[in-house]
Amino acid sequence: MEADELLLLVASGNQKAFEDLYGLVSGPVFGLVRRVVRDPAQSEEVAQEVLLELWRSAAKFDPGRGSAMSWILTLAHRRAVDRVRSARAAGEREQREALRANQPAFDHVTEEVEAGLERELVRRCLDRLTVLQRQSVTLAYYEGYTYREVAERLSLPLGTVKTRMRDGLTRMRECLGGVA
Amino acid sequence: MSLFRREDLHSLAAPYALDALEPPERVRFEKHLKGCDRCAAEVRALSEDAVRLAWSAATPAPAALRDRVMAAVRTTPQDPAPQDTARAPARARATQLPPHVWGTQPPPRQRERRRIPLFVPFATATAAAALVVASLFAVQANRTQDELTAERDRSREIAHVLAAPDARASSGRDGRGRTIGVIASATEGSAVVTLGGYGDPSGGRVHQLWLMRPGAQPRSLGLFESDTPLVATGLGTSATSLAVTVEPAGGSPQPTTQPIVQLALKSVGFGE
Repeated sequence: MEADELLLLVASGNQKAFEDLYGLVSGPVFGLVRRVVRDPAQSEEVAQEVLLELWRSAAKFDPGRGSAMSWILTLAHRRAVDRVRSARAAGEREQREALRANQPAFDHVTEEVEAGLERELVRRCLDRLTVLQRQSVTLAYYEGYTYREVAERLSLPLGTVKTRMRDGLTRMRECLGGVA
Repeated sequence: MSLFRREDLHSLAAPYALDALEPPERVRFEKHLKGCDRCAAEVRALSEDAVRLAWSAATPAPAALRDRVMAAVRTTPQDPAPQDTARAPARARATQLPPHVWGTQPPPRQRERRRIPLFVPFATATAAAALVVASLFAVQANRTQDELTAERDRSREIAHVLAAPDARASSGRDGRGRTIGVIASATEGSAVVTLGGYGDPSGGRVHQLWLMRPGAQPRSLGLFESDTPLVATGLGTSATSLAVTVEPAGGSPQPTTQPIVQLALKSVGFGE
């Protein structure tokens, strides 16, 4: 069964369906959270919160508004970003600087070497963006920066960053095409 | 007045899809989305793009995580489905709203007292399931007693289907985000069918549900009233798919138009 169907069953309290759903989504959820949060222990913590939230809030899923996978990953991303931002706001500057030193935004994409068709495809498509489009998209999505912060880091006007983000995503869509 | 001009708000669609807005901006933009179909459609598309980025980061989760989550699930109660009264007014547009809106901003919980007793007679899990189905549809706040009675009967029928041990769910979505959902039990020969986002056809016409079988005429399973679920009974195991057509008021003996949506029943245990 697909995530959409499973989530509907989970919403009715079906634990077996939740186990199946876990099998389907734990990899994408954990991978995304790990990518954004970085710290292994914190990543596990956030991933656990997200997965448990799927169980608790499954009834909020409305298939009329998008696919289950999209709902789940959007939720995971939001939680991961919240964690990263509160860590930053809490003044963990050192950690931030260390992260920045370890993970320069520029070549972030090409650091990903693990195989995987989707990963490979997305990477190839990211590589086809202009540098500014790619940086705008990945700094926001994978590193949890707000577009204002992205503008600061890249020394670009706000409007430019917003445009680059949109163009970047749109070009990704064209590049990825119908391959779902 | 808003600090942002309209065109400024429009331009926030991409940062919003990337979760790159600061909380106050996010709130303001979500407010704006509710009244802006164009932005909602755009955000939805951009959010799907962003989800592709998420996919590419997938990596196996540690085994210990699974144990902890499963242990927690066994002791964690589930939240009830959001009540429909809070969502109904936005329903027509809701099909285009992105997951963000409902993932992070649960609708205000407005208890609609009249609805509660409908579900009391059922076992907890069943009641939850019935709420789930009910939550898929717009339910108007104001109902007459007859409508309430009809709804209660329908809720019983729905709960009956959901309670079947072999109840399975399936759903389909067209390119415009409109959905058909079915929860069916092959042993009961019944199904709960729901439409989302289609609205009411113009000119007093109706959405009619048909059972499609190989080598037989389509059989009418009833008319949809707005977005309320339709309970179809007497489905033989040979049933292969369901179809919905737009028909003149009162429905037709046989379909007179092409189906606007069709859903195969194989995945829910029929036609095997």
